[in-house]
Amino acid sequence: MSSHREAPEISKDPVADGTDVYAFVSPDKPSTVTLIANFIPLQKPDSGPNFFEFGDDVLYEIHVANSGRATPDISYQFRFSTRIRNPRTFLYNTGPIQNISDAAWNRPQTYTVTQVTRRGRQTTRKVLGTNLPCPPVNVGVRSTPDYPALARQAVRFLPAGKRVFAGQRADAFHVDLGSIFDLGALRPFNEAHLINMPEMNGRNSTQSFNVHSIALQIPIEQLTRTGRRPSGVSDPAATIGVWATASRQKSRVLDRKQARYVGVGPWKQVSRLANPLFNEVIVPMAEKDRWNIRPPSGDKQYQRYVYRPELAGLLPQLYPGVFPRLAAYRKERADLHAILLTGIPAGVVDGFQNFTGPTPADMLRLNVAVPPTAEPNPLGLVAGDAAGFPNGRRVGDDVVTVELRAVAGLTIPLVDPSFTPDDAAAAVEDGTSNTNAPLLANFPYLGHPGGGYQTEPGTTSVGSGQR
Amino acid sequence: MSETSRRGFIAVAGAGAAAGAVAATAGAAAASDTERGSGLGSGGPVMVYIENPAAGRLTVMSGDDEVDVTDKDLVGRILRAAGVR
Repeated sequence: MSSHREAPEISKDPVADGTDVYAFVSPDKPSTVTLIANFIPLQKPDSGPNFFEFGDDVLYEIHVANSGRATPDISYQFRFSTRIRNPRTFLYNTGPIQNISDAAWNRPQTYTVTQVTRRGRQTTRKVLGTNLPCPPVNVGVRSTPDYPALARQAVRFLPAGKRVFAGQRADAFHVDLGSIFDLGALRPFNEAHLINMPEMNGRNSTQSFNVHSIALQIPIEQLTRTGRRPSGVSDPAATIGVWATASRQKSRVLDRKQARYVGVGPWKQVSRLANPLFNEVIVPMAEKDRWNIRPPSGDKQYQRYVYRPELAGLLPQLYPGVFPRLAAYRKERADLHAILLTGIPAGVVDGFQNFTGPTPADMLRLNVAVPPTAEPNPLGLVAGDAAGFPNGRRVGDDVVTVELRAVAGLTIPLVDPSFTPDDAAAAVEDGTSNTNAPLLANFPYLGHPGGGYQTEPGTTSVGSGQR
Repeated sequence: MSETSRRGFIAVAGAGAAAGAVAATAGAAAASDTERGSGLGSGGPVMVYIENPAAGRLTVMSGDDEVDVTDKDLVGRILRAAGVR
């Protein structure tokens, strides 16, 4: 979660595995939108001597749809290049890395950003930046003694007021993976589970783990189909769709001279991500790999899993007597269909819409006319904070709780006022909170990655009650 | 989680809650392409993928491009070279 190792094939290819996508109006620069795509899940900081890095053989992309067709009207492409400064050492760094161009860093990585714009049959490619530096990973107190300074040096300006960052960050997503995937258990509600146990607080499985992030900050008018800032929330051009992909070349062969695999052939998508948890818990296991290689514009074939999500059927079974109204609800889940596949039309939530047209497509939908909230509510739109998920997604949004409650029926009354949710629908959660690294107030917002030296091992445990 | 939400949830729960791929040379791959793209060839490695030998159809990949080729004779020669009968 939210898309860490979410499908069988991509779980074996972590360098190309997208984990989270964020899209929000920048709180400290509200004339811009920040787009973030995370890859390479669950990085243990003390993973030397070969630390995590972007794949030189992967095409990473962040896509924006602004014409109502759920197709990529704008794509930002990222290609990475890694070199070894000193071929005679086994070390990642031969001394403290004091700055981003320090010769002591033995394996620097740089990248190129290209903007691809599509209008009708016309495709325009524009290289926005070349030889842009990534920061090193956070090795530890001796090797990367001032990590925030290294990260700051990796924030670069691109033409027309854009900014970019690509490098290691602390994961900002929080979830209790150990519990949820142990037969849908939510530790705070253990006593109500079919296989009941004493209740306890949730455990944040992503705490202390890092990811690799690609972040862009772009003036709003460069993202809308009109080329202007929208006139207001109701402006039909105010909402953009966002998703991220990773692609590999169609074939690869072990090159004996280079002692590595080389890619051959056209780039083919192997990972896709927009709404958190979509492929994770909506799409059946047998279809997850195929979902990953398809475009969002073809998601109509998956909408039946949104209309009747498996999890909504499991909750009443796993928590007997807790969700009787949800169990009795027989209609298609039009609320989830709007939230995940079309956006919320005008008239459903007072003064808000992020509808992108009737094409069902898994995209994060951001109405860029909604200004940032001074004090964001992590529960976003369902808590009255229209600047948060599912209006785009901010790094601090508690998307697990939002989606759990939505699936549990809390959002059904938005489209079906005759339905009264179970009381539990407003209380259900996994019991985790954001115990990850503190978020930054400025771009790229995600917290600094945990350092290898500072990492403390977890525990290996065969719990009580387990034979 | 807050105590309020935990109690609310538990209260509701109640007491009863219980093919084959062949590396080839650029010269061989150029035999009879039908959908040649602009980026094929130019010195890099070339991969030939024959998903269905009986159909005589090859996919030839080079650089970041590919072309589909239908040539049963070529497929036959590749299979013989690979020792496939």
